[in-house]
Amino acid sequence: MIKTITVGYGAVRQVKIGGKEPLAFIGGPCAIENRDHAFMMAARVGAICDKLAIPWIYKSCFDKDCRSAPDSFHGLGMEGGLKILEEIRKEFGVPVSSDFSAADWAAATGEVCDLVQVPAYLCRQTNILRAAARTKRPVHLKKGQFMSPWNMKNSVRKIEHWGGDEILLTDRGTFFGYNMQVNDFRCFPIMMETGYPVCMDVSHSIQLPTSMGNASGGQREFIPYLARAAAACGINALFCEVHDDPDNALSDANTVMDIKYLERVLAQAKACHELRLELLQKWGEDRVHLEN
Amino acid sequence: MSCVLNCYKSGEKTVSTLKTDLTVANVMLPAHEIPVAPTSTILKEILDMMGRYRLGIVCITNQAGKLEGVFTDGDVRRLLLKDQKPFAALFNDDIGVHITKNCTTTTADAPLTVAVDVMGSKRIWDLPVVGQDGVLVGLLHLHPAVSTLLDLRKRQE
Repeated sequence: MIKTITVGYGAVRQVKIGGKEPLAFIGGPCAIENRDHAFMMAARVGAICDKLAIPWIYKSCFDKDCRSAPDSFHGLGMEGGLKILEEIRKEFGVPVSSDFSAADWAAATGEVCDLVQVPAYLCRQTNILRAAARTKRPVHLKKGQFMSPWNMKNSVRKIEHWGGDEILLTDRGTFFGYNMQVNDFRCFPIMMETGYPVCMDVSHSIQLPTSMGNASGGQREFIPYLARAAAACGINALFCEVHDDPDNALSDANTVMDIKYLERVLAQAKACHELRLELLQKWGEDRVHLEN
Repeated sequence: MSCVLNCYKSGEKTVSTLKTDLTVANVMLPAHEIPVAPTSTILKEILDMMGRYRLGIVCITNQAGKLEGVFTDGDVRRLLLKDQKPFAALFNDDIGVHITKNCTTTTADAPLTVAVDVMGSKRIWDLPVVGQDGVLVGLLHLHPAVSTLLDLRKRQE
């Protein structure tokens, strides 16, 4: 049985992820670009999710520490970025999320964010995982592109060791040679074996890591396919970074999806998620291997 | 010696005909001298334990020390043939998903000859020894049990 985690403290709407809960959405622009843009994007994401009755969490990062070039946009910084997230949280009554790339950023991130995200590149770093657990917030743990799904259990156990018991495990693709990723959909049932809910990050999954010299490329055309497939596999949440003007996005311009497509992607993912539950109800659980 | 060992091979119950008051408690290895692990231990660590203790069994217990099951050399063989996971994935599995539950056990006050007969009939080398509450108290290993019974047999001849 997959555990249900609850994202949202205080006055915001709580989003339950896992078990038989509806598919949740986590998304927003990759980086917080400025206050007005962040508010505009939150309003647009919220309108789509509310229309589709999809519980949502606004995600946008205050610091992007994994950019390929030293002069790439790094973000507004922790103080300025978290202030905007806090305002969005209050204005929209929605849980918010950001990642953090240094252990000593975790406490401040957890002070504001309802869901604390561990970047994929740092998913096995003990200092980071300990810091995430100590925020006492649910932890969004992305599977590193270099990690096997079964080894994510080690990272889960580190978080549990320091008291974390609400974790969301996300696939964002696996390195397939240099500058290329693929999605191994077996990772969902494998990561479910930890007992925690799982999520698909469709926008980073189509990334071509650092394929553009000193920046990452991406093949956005595959996002709808991956979203439907992941929902059919049994994800509990869908993650997608969106932007109103992807070509001019300050971070991940080649992978963020134009928000004008978000409704069609989310509506289909939700339908696939619900159909899967119906099918399991009718045909039984996915156990086709011989039991002991 | 060959007589006794042949009996094990054929599964015949003959050692119980030996006259002795010996019980399992006289021969068993105490719990602190055998490999014991919780269900969350990964397979790689279980295999390490088997090698370190030079025993083909690890007893799996819960937090209260109650026996949950066992994992044996035979389980390793069957697992390798049945499960097609890469070793890296298999090694990281919790042992709890691979143990044999409802395994055969004995008690400390059971007659040694009866316990050895059980091992012969079931073709097993080790019998976990549990108390009334199911808590693991030791392990009856075939080698010391047979040695003891052979010594006894020599003395009775």
